[in-house]
Amino acid sequence: MLDIDFLFSYSPSSDYYLSDLRLRGLKAEKTVLDDQTVELNLPNKLGYERIAIGGLAAFAKSVGFSSPRIEDLKTSVAEACTNAMQHGNKGKPEARVLVTAKFEDNALWISVFDEGNGLKAEPKDPDIERIIENLDPPVGFGVFLMRRLMDEVEFNKRSNHRHEVRMRMKLSG
Amino acid sequence: MNQRPNEIKMESHGDIILMDIRGDVTASSEPSLNSAYTSTKESGPKKIILKFEDSAYINSGGIAVLIQVLAQTRRNNQKIGITGLSDHFKKVFNMVGITKFATIYPSLQDALSAMSAIS
Repeated sequence: MLDIDFLFSYSPSSDYYLSDLRLRGLKAEKTVLDDQTVELNLPNKLGYERIAIGGLAAFAKSVGFSSPRIEDLKTSVAEACTNAMQHGNKGKPEARVLVTAKFEDNALWISVFDEGNGLKAEPKDPDIERIIENLDPPVGFGVFLMRRLMDEVEFNKRSNHRHEVRMRMKLSG
Repeated sequence: MNQRPNEIKMESHGDIILMDIRGDVTASSEPSLNSAYTSTKESGPKKIILKFEDSAYINSGGIAVLIQVLAQTRRNNQKIGITGLSDHFKKVFNMVGITKFATIYPSLQDALSAMSAIS
């Protein structure tokens, strides 16, 4: 079977409970989980972003997002996860990627954590004409799409070896 | 969770080459897409249609691979049509600017008919 530490924390009651954020190699911290929050803990292996896509798409549907917005969400989550795996965790097989989603204030808040130190500088938008002419490398599309498809995207360095991409999608957007 | 290699079926429709791309399009698609495109060079088609599966998962790595193929078609003065995309990926292709270098058609029939008329 899959070598996956698949943590899907969901409480059908309104009672809060605590769960460890189990990012390997990091000091565990506590977060409040409730019936509007889910967590997914993924291996640092390309392809596993599809677990996050599927889980968060189901969650978004359950709280009322339309199909086109769910497609936007799926692309954004995929890009955040693959960036975390390739750039944040630098492909290290022992690293983990943690994805959390919370529905609050009529919006879905998604965080993707990796064990890296974040971006030195946010990439500029790719210029396809320069890429086609071989003047620029074909990079930067992931962050570009996240910014275009979500209502808000932030890059937060949380501590040494912990970086978060936080995204918001409004239900009415 | 490994991605299966893409299957790319090549068909000639008059002076158009159809590349029927099965499966998801990611950075892992680079060898199969490049190989399929290279195989068209012998006949030197002036028109190529890239057909995707509407359920395909396409990520930024796949977009980068496609743009590199488009760069080659540009250098070879080829007209490119794209079809089979879901509404979401039509929007994404437009956002990243692929539509500056290729025309998206709603169906394969539309693509074949419109591109046949291009001299």
